[in-house]
Order: sequence, then C-alpha cells, then structure tokens
Amino acid sequence: MFKNLIIAIFLLATAGAFAQGKFISKNAYISFFSSTPMEDILGESNEAVTILNGETGEIAFQAIMTTFHFKRALMEEHFNENYMESTKFPKAKFNGKIVGFNKEMLKAPVANIQITGQLTVHGVEKTITVPATLGLENGKLTGNSKFKVVPEDYGIGIPALVRDKIGKEMEVTVKASYQPFGQ
Amino acid sequence: MKTKYIILIILFLVVLGAGIGLKMFFKPHADVSRAQTDFRVEAAALLSAFLDDEAAAAAKYSEKVLEIKGKLAAYSTLQDGTHLLILENEMEGISCQLDSSWAAANQPVLQELTIGRELTVKGVCKGYLMEIKVSPAVIMK
Repeated sequence: MFKNLIIAIFLLATAGAFAQGKFISKNAYISFFSSTPMEDILGESNEAVTILNGETGEIAFQAIMTTFHFKRALMEEHFNENYMESTKFPKAKFNGKIVGFNKEMLKAPVANIQITGQLTVHGVEKTITVPATLGLENGKLTGNSKFKVVPEDYGIGIPALVRDKIGKEMEVTVKASYQPFGQ
Repeated sequence: MKTKYIILIILFLVVLGAGIGLKMFFKPHADVSRAQTDFRVEAAALLSAFLDDEAAAAAKYSEKVLEIKGKLAAYSTLQDGTHLLILENEMEGISCQLDSSWAAANQPVLQELTIGRELTVKGVCKGYLMEIKVSPAVIMK
C-alpha cells in the first residue's frame, strides 16, 4: 500500500516535470567542417535530436555518428571506421545548461548566449563552454551555435600522413528549430 | 632487353595502382534503391525490437538495408528540402529521410502520399534516437 503510494507520488512528480515547457527538435542540423589546401571536408547530419527544458535552461543534444554525410563515400567510410569508430561509439552527446538562464530568453528575439556542459564524442567526455544564439525567429524558438573542437582532445587519432589534409581544428555548426513538446 | 620488360611491368603496376586509388577516392555513394535488402520487417515489430533491447536491435539492424511496412503518420519537408516520412507514430516512430535524387525523380509518388495509408519504405537503418532513424530511404512500388 505504502509502496504504491510512493510510486503514485513519483509518477505524478515525473509527469509534472514532463509536462512543463519542454522544447524539442528531432531534425536538428550538425556539421563538421575543415578547410584544407586540397579540398574542404564537410560532414552534415540533419537527424540530431535536441531537447531544451524551458524551466531550467538545460539543453541536450544527441546524434548518431553514421547519420553524418560527406561528399565522397570514401570520406564517410573513413570518418566512421577510422576516426569515430562508430560501431563502438555510435552516438555523440551534449548535456549542458544555458549560462544565466531566465525564461524570458525563450520569448525574446534571437540574442547571444553561452552554453556550458559536457560533450561526449568517441567515448571521451569533455566540459566545454560555447557561444550560441537563442530566441524567436519567425515565431519559432531557434538555437544556433558555432564552435571549434580539436579531434585529438577526444582521442581521435589522425595519422601524421593525412594530418595536414584534415586540419587540427574542426568547426562545428549546430542549428535547431524547436517546437513545444509534451504539453 | 630484360630491363625493358621490367620497366614496362613497373609502369603497368604504377598505372594500375593509381587507377585503383582514384577509383576508390571517387567511389560514389551506394544507391539504396538498388541495394540488396537485408531484412523485411513490420514497422511495429521493428519499434518493439528497439524498445525492448536497443543494443541488440542496433547490432542486428544498424547499417543494414531494411524494407519496412507500416502506416504513414507524418510527411513533411525539412528546411534543406529533404523529404521526411514518419511511420507509425509521429513522435516516437520510424523517421525516414528520402534519398534526394530518388525524390526528385519520383515526384508523382510523393504527391500521392496519404496520411494513415500503409506503405513500404526501403532504407538504411541508422539506429535509435527517440525514434528509429532511416536514411537514405526510398518508397517501394
């Protein structure tokens, strides 16, 4: 009896948390870009999932590595097999929080913000702080970010032979157009 | 005389090597409409396989070509023009991004799409992220 009561309270509490202003995008865009003398390398996915908690400013992203597409099939193969080891580490994750969050940010025009949190790529977790923009664009809550990552920080070994071709830093671009969820 | 042959053989090998290398470098993306199907599944069965044991289902289906039969729950076009079909359940169903060249060549098929109707989609399974992701995909006749 007492156990059932606890379960009921727990369910009510989680249902409440679920119903409070969350925003989701199931087709967020993420890209990696590196410019090299030989050619530009661009990997793009528009299948990332992101959830923004409108109460707390917590923001999460997940992407399946094999959804990144490149111009050349060979690049895609190398990306998954040699660098990301996508079978071993199928997903990249980010769990963070908007710095100095307040709910007005969700109703205002697009403005600059900062997000800090843990980025997990290739099974390696790092705390990062990145610049971003968030706010209403054509009536839709939109988030964008652009930042640099160093593949070596995430244990992604790039052979010396092709290091110059790939570049030391990769530019990551994120675009998400959110819709209210679970209300 | 002998050295001439050796030089010719070496030259031949170099040209052959360069040819293979270039062919690999410019290898085109696989055409999903022509790829051999690995599994034929019902949408509901595929969903419950991923919900029951994501790791086992991912090991079995990821990067495999599936033919999935299910009800069309939603159809939309993303900002970049990608056609997106969702089977069974709009929020937590099977999300299929159509191959762009296939979509361009098969406009009449897209115009006939009706929500709630059953169809079969063939595509590469990418795994589970709130929904099952399938891309690129084509609609079967």
